[in-house]
Amino acid sequence: MKKPDLMKMCVQNLTRRKTRTFLTTLGVLIGCCSIVIMVSIGFGMQEQQEQMMKSFGDLTLIKVTQEGDTSDHKIDQNLVDEIEQMNGVAVVSPKKVLDSYTVHAFAGLNNRFQTDYMDAVGIDTGKINEFDYKLLEGTSELNEGEVLVGRNFVLNFKDSLRPEGSNTAQNGYLQKDEIPEGFFDPLAEKITLEISKSDNTGSSADTDGSSTEKKAVVKLKPVGYTAEDYNKGTETVDGMIMSLNDFQNMINQLSTPGTTDTSYDSVMVKVSDISMVEPVENAIRQQGFNTESMTSMRKDLEDQARHTQMMFAGIGAISLFVAALGIMNTMIMSISERTREIGIMKSLGCYISDIRMMFLTEAGIIGLIGGAIGCVISFAVSAVINISSLGGFSMDTLKAAILGGEGITRVSIIPIWLYVFAIGFSILIGVASGYYPANKAVKIPALEAIKSE
Amino acid sequence: MTYKENEKKALIEVAHIRKEYPLGDETVVALKDISLKINKGEICCIFGTSGSGKSTLLNQLAGMEKPTKGMVKIGGVPISLLTEDQLAKFRQQHLGFVFQTYNLLPNLTATENVALPLLFKGVPKEKREKIARKMLCRVGLSHRLDHFPKQMSGGQQQRAGIARAFITQPAVVFADEPTGNLDSKTTVEVMEMICSFAKDFNQTIILVTHDPEMASYADRVVKLIDGEIISDTIVSH
Repeated sequence: MKKPDLMKMCVQNLTRRKTRTFLTTLGVLIGCCSIVIMVSIGFGMQEQQEQMMKSFGDLTLIKVTQEGDTSDHKIDQNLVDEIEQMNGVAVVSPKKVLDSYTVHAFAGLNNRFQTDYMDAVGIDTGKINEFDYKLLEGTSELNEGEVLVGRNFVLNFKDSLRPEGSNTAQNGYLQKDEIPEGFFDPLAEKITLEISKSDNTGSSADTDGSSTEKKAVVKLKPVGYTAEDYNKGTETVDGMIMSLNDFQNMINQLSTPGTTDTSYDSVMVKVSDISMVEPVENAIRQQGFNTESMTSMRKDLEDQARHTQMMFAGIGAISLFVAALGIMNTMIMSISERTREIGIMKSLGCYISDIRMMFLTEAGIIGLIGGAIGCVISFAVSAVINISSLGGFSMDTLKAAILGGEGITRVSIIPIWLYVFAIGFSILIGVASGYYPANKAVKIPALEAIKSE
Repeated sequence: MTYKENEKKALIEVAHIRKEYPLGDETVVALKDISLKINKGEICCIFGTSGSGKSTLLNQLAGMEKPTKGMVKIGGVPISLLTEDQLAKFRQQHLGFVFQTYNLLPNLTATENVALPLLFKGVPKEKREKIARKMLCRVGLSHRLDHFPKQMSGGQQQRAGIARAFITQPAVVFADEPTGNLDSKTTVEVMEMICSFAKDFNQTIILVTHDPEMASYADRVVKLIDGEIISDTIVSH
């Protein structure tokens, strides 16, 4: 039997029983859709996670903190030196914060803009480039009295000339190169920082100078914007980064002469490779310090994502399996109906291999059509899910829903290979479930088949 | 062994075949010990009542079933030893069938049905349908070429069945009660048609029937009772 003839007979047989073929195909279609959609949602979750990871920033960064307030192990220069010697460590910088101080900052003419909160830190600014701080604007070469500020730095401030309620910037978050209307440009101003020991909480918020306690006042010049990097610290978002030297000089103004505080609040460590995070973390912990890094968290998230994805694919696979039973059932029905025909064909000299091929092809065609239509529908469903998650239909969201792009998070992502796989898998399911019926068909004795009604 | 027609030897040789069927715990012996030789061009009628074993004998001859004992050779080929695929090929080339119930495929037109044996052989569509149309014209169905079996009368269907059986010009055509479902007028038409084909191409016809009138078309009548040949007579016309 020639291939086109065989194909034609198969198609004829399928179109003869339209309803049944349609329903069986529908089963495959639904199975195929559910697998594709489920897996695509899994991919969507993965993409979201990857973007989240990216926003976490540098994965080779370890933050070392003191184990509890009362620990004997103080963070000091010795520890910094020690860590620097460790295998796999690329850069180390101590970090000092103003957590235990009351902070006020002023800017503008007559200190028009004021804030009683400022996330200012001191680090080894000579290593800013090695730590891979990203700058949106300005320079990372800091001279004395120069600082870097976060993009949202200006949002900390209140305009003292305007009434309460309308004295802050309306914009909650600055994305682009913009200054809220009526506010100052940090890079064009000097910022006055005023700190005091916050033992006396009652008067800490006052700025009228009634407090009698000792104050340190410094004038600082912002020279650049840092890109936000939560992994390094919130100071990259709306705070201030200054050199350890400046920082130390500032707090020295408050301390009793001769009792210089040489301890640090934490240490930032960058290792040479992700694989070195764990050993370095362990080594530091052995010294009696706390460590934090993104790598351990990332592992958990990845495991979790893989499990979810497998579970989704499993749910999809169940429906395709049910569809396979449908195909098998249809083919077995078809055989009992066509017993006589099979007998006639055998007695007229049809090879049994052709008869088997015919049944396998029919089952395969059901799989192919179901799979192909399933893919088209999956494509549409995926687009609809994405469009609605991107907030309504427009040419832009349509394009983003289908193609994705930088900074776009899609709920459902279907890579091309998934379509190819889904169609191939549907055909395979079809042929596999046609195998038993096909063998049943070829075993029918010609004679009894012809006599059967 | 390849098929060979030898003038001196019989075309079909049946040597001591026995056929048993299991029936519950017992075995039923359908054919006891049958030996038979049928020559090329002969129209041989196997005559017997229901249960005489005539259909069983036909099945052995056509290779539809394998005998319990004994051997059937057609053109020197021991068909009871062939595999399914070898048998299929043998049927394509040397055997034709006419059935009592016509057995046309319901979803194919008359032309497609007649062309079916050629399709299994792998003959291209145009060529096989051209031959099929010629055959249909010969059996007087030139006006029914594209009709489906349902749209034709019993007689017309059987004529299409005959066209199908003879389309490959097989050496042997088996006809199992070919007129069992037809009225007497159509019976005559159909039988004359089969005989005329056979004479034209010097083909052997094995005609199985329980109808004594049918025997009159045959050159030779083999009478079967209870799985045994009780008479074998040459009919003179």
